[in-house]
Formats: sequence, C-alpha cells, structure tokens
Amino acid sequence: MSSKTKAVKAAAPGKKTPLAAKIFLGIVGLYLLVPFLTTLVYSLFVEWTDVLPSGFTLRNYAELFTNSTFWFSIGRTLILCLVSVAITIVLLLLAMYVVVAVNRRLGRFMQFVCMIPYALQGVILSIGIISLYTGTGTILSNRMFMLFGAYTILVLPYIYQGIRNALNAIDANMLIQAAEMLGCGRFRAYVQVVLPNIVSGILVSSLLAESIVFGDFVLANNIAGTNYQNIQVFLQANMARSSGLSSAIVVVIFLVVAAVTAVVLKLQHTSQKQ
Amino acid sequence: MADISQAGATLTADVPVSGAGRTAAHASAEKARQPRGRKWVGYIAFVPFLLVIVGYELLPLAQLVLDSLVGKESGALGLENFIKVFTTPLYQQSIINSVWISLVSALVGIVVSFLAARFAYESSERVRNAFTMVLNMMSNFSGVPLAFAFMILMGNSGVLTILGERWGIPFLADFDLYTGEGLLVLYIYFQIPLATLLLLPAFSGIRKSWREAAIILQASPLDYWFRIVIPNLMPSILGTLSVLFSNALAAYATAFAVVMNNYALLPLQITSKFKGDVQIDAATGGALAVVLIILMVVCTLINNYFTKRASKGREII
Repeated sequence: MSSKTKAVKAAAPGKKTPLAAKIFLGIVGLYLLVPFLTTLVYSLFVEWTDVLPSGFTLRNYAELFTNSTFWFSIGRTLILCLVSVAITIVLLLLAMYVVVAVNRRLGRFMQFVCMIPYALQGVILSIGIISLYTGTGTILSNRMFMLFGAYTILVLPYIYQGIRNALNAIDANMLIQAAEMLGCGRFRAYVQVVLPNIVSGILVSSLLAESIVFGDFVLANNIAGTNYQNIQVFLQANMARSSGLSSAIVVVIFLVVAAVTAVVLKLQHTSQKQ
Repeated sequence: MADISQAGATLTADVPVSGAGRTAAHASAEKARQPRGRKWVGYIAFVPFLLVIVGYELLPLAQLVLDSLVGKESGALGLENFIKVFTTPLYQQSIINSVWISLVSALVGIVVSFLAARFAYESSERVRNAFTMVLNMMSNFSGVPLAFAFMILMGNSGVLTILGERWGIPFLADFDLYTGEGLLVLYIYFQIPLATLLLLPAFSGIRKSWREAAIILQASPLDYWFRIVIPNLMPSILGTLSVLFSNALAAYATAFAVVMNNYALLPLQITSKFKGDVQIDAATGGALAVVLIILMVVCTLINNYFTKRASKGREII
C-alpha cells in the first residue's frame, strides 16, 4: 500500500489537486460545515433577524454555564457514558476469556449476538426493553436498570470489535499457552499477560463508544425521559423555550464530541504508523 | 461504523488447546485431580455476559415479536395486528414515508459521496486529509443538534428563510422544514459524511494502470468510468447504499426533534405506541416494530452479501 502511494507520487511529483476536485470538495465541505457554523454564530449574537447578526455577546454561554440543570444533565451523561462502557468492557473481557481459553466455538455465537444491536439500533432496543420490563413490579422495572442495560447493549458492537481485533493482533491463545507452560494458570495468564497487551486496542473503541453514548437521544428519551435527563434530552427540552441557550448547548455538545473524535483519530493514526 | 459492518472474518478455526509442554505424567496427574470440573469452571466467566445479552437484547426482541403476534382485540395468537397495520392508512403511510425518505436520501447521498470520494481520491494528500477530517467531525453532527441547526437555518424564521425573502429566492423563502421534504433535506445531510467515509477506502482498489490500459485501448473517459470503475466498485456502492438505507430507516432523534410525533414515520409511530400521551398499544407497536426489524435485517443481509463480494474481488486482484 505504502509503496504504491510512493510510486504514484514519484510518477507525478508535486501532484496538484485538480480544479474540479477543489471546487466540488469545497462545496461539499462548506455544505457540511454551514449548519454548525451558523449555530456557532447564532450563539454568539443577540439577534439574527437581518442578513447579518447583530450585537456580539457571550450571554448565552454565561447563562448556560450558570444553569445547574445543565451541569446535572452533563453529570448524568458522563455517568451513563462511563458506567455503561465500563460494564460492557468487563462483560466482554470475561466472555472473551472463555472464547480464547476454554471454547473457541463460542466465538461465532459472540459475534452474532454482538452484531445484533448494530443492525437494530436505538428505537427497537429501547422499545423492546420498555415493553418487557415496564409494570413488572420487580427491580428490573426500575428505569435506571433499563437505561444502563440498554446502553450496555448499544455499545456492545463497537467494544466487541475493538477487543476482538486486539486479541487477534497479539495472538492471545499463543500467549496463554506460553504462560501455561511456565506454570501459570489460564485465567491468571489472561489477566496478567493478555490484558495488559490489549489495553491500547480497547482504548480507541471505548472512546468511540463514549461518543456514541454521549450523542444518544433515543434511549435516554424513550426509557428515562424527563426522569433522568441527559444532555441531549436537556437540549430537546430547551429547544422551544430559548433558541439562544439551545444554540450554546449544541456548540458545547459538538465541541466535546469533536474533541473525543480528534483523540480517536490521533490514536488510530499512531497505531497505524506502528 | 464501517469496520463493524465489514467484519466478515470470524475467529480462526478451532485449534485444540492443550498443554503441549507438560510431561505426560504431569498431565495425567492433573487430570485425576481436576476431572472436567476445571473446564466447567471456565464457563463461569461467560455467565454475566450471557445474562445481560439475554435480559437486554434477546428477551426484549422476543417480547416485541410476542407483542406483535397477540391480537389487540381477540387476544389470540395470529397475524391480526399485521393485517391492521397494513390496512390502516396512517400505518401504511408511515411505512411508505419511511421507505421513501430512506431510499431517496440514500440514493442522493450515494451519488454525492461517490463524486466526493472520487475527487478526494484524485486530490493531493493534504486536501484529502483535510476533507476526511471535515467528514469525520461532521459525521458526529446528527440527531437533535442537527435538527436544531437546521431550524436556525431553514426554520420558519431561519437565517436562510430570511435571506430568501430578502433576495426573492422562493425555494428558500417558502421552504418548509416541518414536512417530509424538510426531513429529506436533513436526512441527506447526515448521509453524506457517512457514505463518503465508507466509499473512500474502496477507491484505493482502483489501479492507475487500468486507466492507462483503457486509454491505450482507446476507451473514452465515459467508458472508463462506466465500464471499469463503477462496475468494479459496485459491491462497495451497493453495500454502502444498504447501510445508508438502514441508517435512515432507524433514525429517530432527528425526526422527533423536528416534527415530534406529527408525521407518519415508522420509528415515530412505533415509539408513540409505547410511550406517549395516549394509551400504550403494544400490539400495534409490536407489529410496526417487527416490520421495521424485518426491513433492517434485510438491509444487513444485503450489506453482508456485498461486503463479502467486495473483499473477494480484492483478493483476486
């Protein structure tokens, strides 16, 4: 791959971007950026009822950052992100131990059930869980249980993929056999030899999963609604009330997710280089 | 998203794992001490995963199927709910609207992103990297924030709406975001970055020598594109198309933020049956959900088929 790109470069030194490409990519890029940029400008001005906005202000941000409901919803969102991703990682690492060290045939089953949420996405998942547990009167009908359960399933495909790729990359089975020969138990070998080697591989997919939970509206709205407002539900609730405040929320959400994405891209880039 | 759906390969074939390094005596002694018990103990680590999968993925799905099969009026097992769904105008319209918006947004998305991927592939590395960066960042801009941004832009007193009135551009001035066409514009927006990110890698399979060979054989640029490049990329294009289609089909947040429940769209109707101001109607909701599930599963199967074909094609080259 790299040799090929080098060859192309060598054939056409100082290769210029064709004008048509520049124009087309410029238009598409602009089209993609305009909605966010408009929101950004909108959040920084008092009013925009003419061609140009008027009255630069940071009022919307001041109002947002002094709003305790905002901080509570951010806190709830972070709890949802961290706890559900952590649960999924632990569940998958335990299950993958069985696949790697006890019975490889379970791998197919794992792959199948881990890909189902990817195909179904939020609406079906949340509705199924509501329909199953609401009104059963058990602890399972507690909205928090339903919510964490749903998020655990939602991020399953992404984290599974990350862990599986990482395990394949280091040949976990070999490592465990080698440790066993040296007199180490299998589970201990898995925890002390395999896991430290796949941490960086899990990191990228976990961050991706965090940004998915952070951006989720469907599960939070359907299962918890106003009982446990996350940042997206908070935004939706404020949209009709104050567009200035809402535009500031949109900017904050976007910047957080963009920062996480930038870290993911950076990590992927460095791992590719290695 | 792309790498997930393209996860074709399964784990490597079964290899009997045995302590190859142990002496026979050691192994037999251990066998005597731990007869089968050890193997059984190993499965314990699988139990928490299994419980969560069953409790929050498989049983909820089974519950929806059950909901759909228990008749709303009769209470008996049967297809009563499905007959109702397919004969009630509102639900018919929801299915039609969902399929229509998904299909049109996927088609427009694939055409734009095919051109974008093509131009990005032809560009210098610097331009390509910058463009990919924009795609990655903006592919996160979806759901409620996206809906809000479009309201500011094209809503009743949106910036573009005002500009349209000022400058006499009827398309902008009269544009109504809160209709099917409005949703379509939103859906197309979130399809483009996703589609381009999925299509870009496929272009690296196009060899420079093919173009040279085609020119030598006196093919016109049109021939080159329609007889060589597009047929070669077809598995990737169709696979991406099915991802886009199911992506739009299941989208909820964007639509809900714009039209609430006031539009006949499958995800909106399903949700309103289980959660809403009106009474819960699990029977109808379940049947609608099963219709959506079937559409999604068909899309996934189509995508898997084309992903496998695409990777096969690469191996031959």
